[in-house]
Amino acid sequence: MILLLCCFSPHILAQQIIVNSSVTVDSLTTSQLRRIYSMRQVKWPDDSRIVVFVLPNKHPVHQAFCKETLRIFPYQIERIWNKLTFSGLGTAPNIVQTQQELLDAVSRTPGAIGYIDDKVKGDSVNVIKISQ
Amino acid sequence: MLSRSLSKHSALSNVLLLLCASSTYAAGGDIAEDLQVHGFIAQGVIDVSGSDFVNDEQEISTELTEIGFNASYQLNNDFRLTGQVVYLEGGNRYSAGARLDYALLDWNFYDSESWSANLYLGRFKNNHWLYSSTRDIPFARPSIILPQAIYFDGLRDVAVGGDGYAIKISHSSDNYGDFDFNFSRGSSNISDKQKDIIAGPEPTGGLEHDLDLQASLYWRPNFSQWRFGMSLLDSDFHYLQGENDGFTNGDFTYQFYTVNALFEGEKLEFAMEILQQRLAIDNFYFTGFAMDNIGQGFYTQFRYKFTNNLVGLIRYDDFYSNKDDKKGHELEETTGLPNYFGYQTDRTIGLAYDIDTNLRVNVEYHWVNGTARLTPLVTPNPELNDSEDWQMWAVQLMYWF
Repeated sequence: MILLLCCFSPHILAQQIIVNSSVTVDSLTTSQLRRIYSMRQVKWPDDSRIVVFVLPNKHPVHQAFCKETLRIFPYQIERIWNKLTFSGLGTAPNIVQTQQELLDAVSRTPGAIGYIDDKVKGDSVNVIKISQ
Repeated sequence: MLSRSLSKHSALSNVLLLLCASSTYAAGGDIAEDLQVHGFIAQGVIDVSGSDFVNDEQEISTELTEIGFNASYQLNNDFRLTGQVVYLEGGNRYSAGARLDYALLDWNFYDSESWSANLYLGRFKNNHWLYSSTRDIPFARPSIILPQAIYFDGLRDVAVGGDGYAIKISHSSDNYGDFDFNFSRGSSNISDKQKDIIAGPEPTGGLEHDLDLQASLYWRPNFSQWRFGMSLLDSDFHYLQGENDGFTNGDFTYQFYTVNALFEGEKLEFAMEILQQRLAIDNFYFTGFAMDNIGQGFYTQFRYKFTNNLVGLIRYDDFYSNKDDKKGHELEETTGLPNYFGYQTDRTIGLAYDIDTNLRVNVEYHWVNGTARLTPLVTPNPELNDSEDWQMWAVQLMYWF
């Protein structure tokens, strides 16, 4: 996965994209991931809802995920979520405080997606391949 | 009127209260991901010298309060129920008090990898301009006072949303980028206080908002930091003569078109909205009166992130109520109002400092020339506003969750 990610980023990426074991998708493009995290795509291909988990805005793994994987500044995506949340147009991702909490939440929530850095072991979830 | 509009939605309000009450329970249960509860509270101090923008006495004021609370509950894969209650106090800028900001059923009737479509039924927010849906959300707008050319506070209550339905269609293309189309159809209740803000205290009758149609289209090229948009608004109002009324039955047509551009860089941000409006009035002032004016305006705004916690703002905001009478001389001749009631220019500087996550203070200063964006709109007050140049500063502390 790291090799694939290196194809479009000058940085060595250290996040892995994880999903609940109920999710049948095993790979996503950067554009698709960005759609999911900007809440433009809210359902998986089997019509089940995507439940998005994130770390707090100032968390270094969140900052790296936004800039390097989604290629969007953290403040931009936070603005999108705030607009959805406070105007009734949609919902924002669920925020959890630590990577362990995020891993736990993704592993127990059907349809869930999240990200952790590669130092965290996530056997109870599926890892998604990211391609250009 | 406010209580009537609240009671009209009492069923929805009750559902929302129940949802809020159950949030503590939900945080530990399986429905935590289906229920979201958020809110904000903001209090500020504002001082205006030389106009009645905030109060007639032109004294330093704490009439800068914004409190909001919302809940969203995902009923199933396709349907969601959501609502927000806000309390606003802005002095003369808009009517004060608690109100149901939005309360709607959101039906996500189509979703695929590249398309998503939602229908919103109930009381919806205006999502057509850059900051229209977040104009009352202190931390989600660029400044305490927004550029009045577009976000005229005097028309806030009718511009902020409506009762009816709205549609949002989003398309994402790997080649062409992201497209968003919004459409809304509805009308707003105009409270007596809001009538006073638009028409002044002298007309004793009632103002009704008949219909409001709006559409907008946004485009962000693929992975671009730019976003471009345009919007159209067409609305009709009528005035019903009251008792001992010096004004007659009248019809108002208000059309409003904008184009906008937004650039979001790592440090630097740029936003611009350009507007053209048409205001046509038949009768009202007296039987047989007819007016049909094209107004224009725009603002350009730069924001710069000095650090992760400190953002600076500089903005130029400009508005003319009649493009063929930019200096207001014709207005002065025909109405006796000072010519500076025909235009308004606002030069603004501001700072936003994040004290902590979800805690921010905003401070800003405005140098204003002209009084075209003061209230009452249709019966301006030259006695209180006898100065072409006026200034204001404001500080506001805000917390959100």
